[in-house]
Amino acid sequence: MNEAIPPKSAAAETKACCAAVYGSDVMPLLLGGSYHPGGLALTRRLAEQLRLCRGDRVLDVATGRGTSALLLAGEYHADVTGVDLSPANIALASDAARTTGLVDQTRFLLGDADRLPVENAGFDAVMCECAFCTFPSKPTAAAELARVLRPGGLLGIADVTAEPTALPPELSGLSGWIACLGGARPLPEYTDLLTAAGLTVTHTERHDASITAMLDQVEARLALVRMTARDQAEALGVDFDRAPAVLAAARTAIGDGVLGYALLTARKPE
Amino acid sequence: MTGAEPGSSLWSASTGAAQRKQDRDEVFVEYTKSICPVCKVVVDGQVNIRDGKVFLRKRCREHGLFEALVYGDAQMYLDSARFNKPGTIPLTFQTEVVDGCPSDCGLCPEHKQHACLGIIEVNTGCNLDCPICFADSGHQPDGYSITLEQCERMLDVFVESEGEAEVVMFSGGEPTIHPRILEFIDAAQARPIRSVNLNTNGIRLASDKAFVAALGRRNQPAWAVNIYLQFDGLEERTHREIRGRDLRAIKRRALDNCAEAGLTVTLVAAVERGLNDHELGAIIEYGLAHPAVRSVSFQPVTHSGRHVEFDPLTRLTNSDIIHAVAAQLPQWFQARDFFPVPCCFPSCRSITYLLSEGTPGTPGFTVVPIPRLLDVEDYLDYLSNRVVPDFAVREALEKLWSASAFMGTDTTRDRLTQAAAALDCADACGINLPEAVANLEDRAFMIVIQDFQDPYTLNVKQLMKCCVEEITPDGRLIPFCAYNSAGYREQVREHMSGVPVADVVPNALPLRPILTDSPYGSKVAQEGDRVGPSNPRDATNVGRRIR
Repeated sequence: MNEAIPPKSAAAETKACCAAVYGSDVMPLLLGGSYHPGGLALTRRLAEQLRLCRGDRVLDVATGRGTSALLLAGEYHADVTGVDLSPANIALASDAARTTGLVDQTRFLLGDADRLPVENAGFDAVMCECAFCTFPSKPTAAAELARVLRPGGLLGIADVTAEPTALPPELSGLSGWIACLGGARPLPEYTDLLTAAGLTVTHTERHDASITAMLDQVEARLALVRMTARDQAEALGVDFDRAPAVLAAARTAIGDGVLGYALLTARKPE
Repeated sequence: MTGAEPGSSLWSASTGAAQRKQDRDEVFVEYTKSICPVCKVVVDGQVNIRDGKVFLRKRCREHGLFEALVYGDAQMYLDSARFNKPGTIPLTFQTEVVDGCPSDCGLCPEHKQHACLGIIEVNTGCNLDCPICFADSGHQPDGYSITLEQCERMLDVFVESEGEAEVVMFSGGEPTIHPRILEFIDAAQARPIRSVNLNTNGIRLASDKAFVAALGRRNQPAWAVNIYLQFDGLEERTHREIRGRDLRAIKRRALDNCAEAGLTVTLVAAVERGLNDHELGAIIEYGLAHPAVRSVSFQPVTHSGRHVEFDPLTRLTNSDIIHAVAAQLPQWFQARDFFPVPCCFPSCRSITYLLSEGTPGTPGFTVVPIPRLLDVEDYLDYLSNRVVPDFAVREALEKLWSASAFMGTDTTRDRLTQAAAALDCADACGINLPEAVANLEDRAFMIVIQDFQDPYTLNVKQLMKCCVEEITPDGRLIPFCAYNSAGYREQVREHMSGVPVADVVPNALPLRPILTDSPYGSKVAQEGDRVGPSNPRDATNVGRRIR
């Protein structure tokens, strides 16, 4: 889809790409600023698996604009701390907390998953949606997630799953560009990473249909951009002729079980 | 329906074997009220899910057991429950609560929603005698037509109730043959009513260009006049079976004349199983290709008034239409592109919007369903959502997913622009998608699917939140489905024409033995099957404690 932008393989660049939701990248245009597969419905599903109670202290890692954090605060009455790498996101999330009247229950901190700016064992639950796959050092991030959980606390992860070696060529070419694709791992590997960090994985479930729905959205936005701003988008490197093949390859990969989406919950031992 | 007598032994002496208890073949999900389709007495009803489908069952003490399919996809039915918004209280009610729903219409203070859309039937006469007509209209000597004074009073009642009303629809009969229809439209436009819809078969629009031009002159930016054109399909058989004659050339001329006069048209298809349910995709494509058409409305045939014989257990429902659209146009639509409308009861109406470019059938033609661009569910799920991403976007989507939404009105145009804000990447990489979409408004297209209730399917749970009301000459606002099912239409016609009108009974297969023809082509119960006036007191809920 994009030959003009060179693949970014360096870890730091991958992080920057994902954090810079409001940067000049063309991806937010196609994915939508605050979108993650499954939408709020899947966030609620994850929250239910975390068995959140009123007043629970929850950390939302890679909180983005705080949509999920505010949902946890508003619907589950949790006390939520959101961490994100992007100052712009932190500002937007804080604004959203003000407009929804959830300031007392939420706070948003600038920070990196490698060094979460919070104390040890300070959270009853930790959530990380569609972001773990983008963390350049997954063992470090897993250890950080484990560190901040209290003993007995629950971690919930929603993420892209992929067999990197089995991805069709149309997609592997994109993997440097779409960070979550390049960094995604098969579900058992996520389980291993969390286990190595001292957590006990208690439950996993697949939600591959939510990736298909996201592809539908990308396809729709692509069509819309072509209708409204074809020249501009092409100047940014969007290849409208190649896009259908890429989307078709992605759908096939989902059908073959090479690409998917999953929820995991894990417990920190007492 | 009956099990073992109470107290009978579970042990069979003759065989020596224990009797096995059996599970029911259905899941009981709701208890409600309905009416007997024959005598219209209010009866208790139950909603059950069987074979993945939703059925309403009820029993009349006089006429026995009745069951009808109300939603063909049970999962979709259950999922729709979340798309239910709190109703808005109208400024005035016209009646009191006396006998309970649906006997007090209306609107009575127990009604849960204001009127998104008010309908004024200006006459009973029509220049067609369609085999399918819920209004039982036609070339009839004994009907009625309203006067200008009556129309003004009806409009006033609507405005008293709504303050500023969104839409009034003139219907009939055939409203374009009423000699004063233009004055009626003027009367509506002289009041705080934002837009007028004219519900027509198109015959006059096809032949009377001066009339179309007069409508066009009245179609002003802030006070739209839109055309709601009966359009059931493109095949000759469809026309002959549903309308009694081939109207295809007339429809085309009517549409072309509307386009010339700058009028926006909704194609409205009455869809009957086995007749034209294979033409849904073709109707959408035709609409997308015609410059006057900005929306399509699919309505499973309402088995009120006159219609062809049907089986209540296999009738078409909203989910059947949604799945059929997705099956007939898989390159453009999926079932999940359609979302229930939260202002009425969510199982009554579903809508999608799309943006398109080009002409269907030509290379490069593109369709983008708007629900794929923004997460409608995150805004219109009122039960689980307490954190709405953007309330301005919700407000816009509420108006778009509403019974008052019609293409070609300022309200709809503004709300589409407002909803585009949710595209949420303003100026990402220098492309302002929301702004681009706002400029695309003239390429927006709406598809509405509405299953109106009939005497078989009437469920007061839905009726109590109905937001489409018939405005009657005596100053009531009667929910459309109550008007057509519970006997109000017959009551109003009798009162207005002075000619007795028997209760119309659905032309349903199981009722065949007791049906006979009415003077208007609909069916009524044979002599002796009539058990008193409409809406007698509900005898199953007697308002006393256990004996």
